[in-house]
Amino acid sequence: MAFLPQSRGRTFGAKIAACLALGVAVCATLAYAAETQIFDPKTRKWVEYDRKKARSYYAAHKQVPEAFRRQIVKFRTAEKPGTIIIDGNQHFLYLVQPDFTAIRYGIGVGREGFGWAGMVKVGRTAEWPTWTPPAEMVARDPNARKWAGGQPGGPDNPLGARALYLYQGDQDTIYRIHGTPEPWTIGLDVSSGCIRMNNDDITDLHSRVAVGAKVIVLMQGASLYKGV
Amino acid sequence: MSNAFAPGSPFRIAPNRNRAAMLATLLATMQVVGCQSSGPAPDTVRNTGQTAPADLQLTCASAAATPLGVDSAAVLPVSSSQLDAQTFQVVLESGGARANCIVDTSGNVISVQKV
Repeated sequence: MAFLPQSRGRTFGAKIAACLALGVAVCATLAYAAETQIFDPKTRKWVEYDRKKARSYYAAHKQVPEAFRRQIVKFRTAEKPGTIIIDGNQHFLYLVQPDFTAIRYGIGVGREGFGWAGMVKVGRTAEWPTWTPPAEMVARDPNARKWAGGQPGGPDNPLGARALYLYQGDQDTIYRIHGTPEPWTIGLDVSSGCIRMNNDDITDLHSRVAVGAKVIVLMQGASLYKGV
Repeated sequence: MSNAFAPGSPFRIAPNRNRAAMLATLLATMQVVGCQSSGPAPDTVRNTGQTAPADLQLTCASAAATPLGVDSAAVLPVSSSQLDAQTFQVVLESGGARANCIVDTSGNVISVQKV
């Protein structure tokens, strides 16, 4: 069951096509007013945790803020261990564990795109997946042009170290959960329109998740959903 | 054996003063520490959207299965918001049918109604 989507700007079909072409991630709406903030100990004020702030934080600390680091948390649910829950609002991905706990990972999600929520499953996985840029990116970006036929997996590949391909039944939904060579983007609403984890985390998740695992994607935004 | 701290001894006042001074210092220190420890820890992050935590949304999904007449695996949270410091509202959907759920921060479902 998947609830799709709310078009914002570009048509749904175009966005699907873009995601297909990108071959990346779970695309999700984040065009609501909420923002991620970080408490600045110097000014003792909350400030927006934007791309610039995130990059400077990562440069200073060599890691993302504590909330976005992998950790065990309490998680009251009847879902079976091994189930993945994605909360794009809070930039968290949960992997349900026994005894009402979960492993929580930080994620980056798309600024643009469309609302998406649903119950799917991990259809297949890949290590160091190939990335193929969409035609429109190839047309405008000389750097992408050289990878028009597909960029082999590696540390500079936008899909990072691992990818989990989300399926509905036997059909590939085009949505993926994947790594990234830009770990500072975890916790952000990044512009690519896709969800990402840092490479250590996606590798850890990949090692713990079985093909067929249930994935619940919660709707992003407080009240964006307007119908199937 | 003389007792310098015996009642009536001139030495008794000084220790009491010291104790009072120490107590005052301790209280003052506690106040300062208390002031310093108020507020978020450095580098704490938050989201201003105030949606319900994921596990509370799933709790509501389970609770809504009966009024919606479906299996809980078919119920999906589609929106949520904070009502007050202790409660969240979660809207759930299954096959076009919707339900509203109120859940508190402890995971207790206060109400669930098909809409």
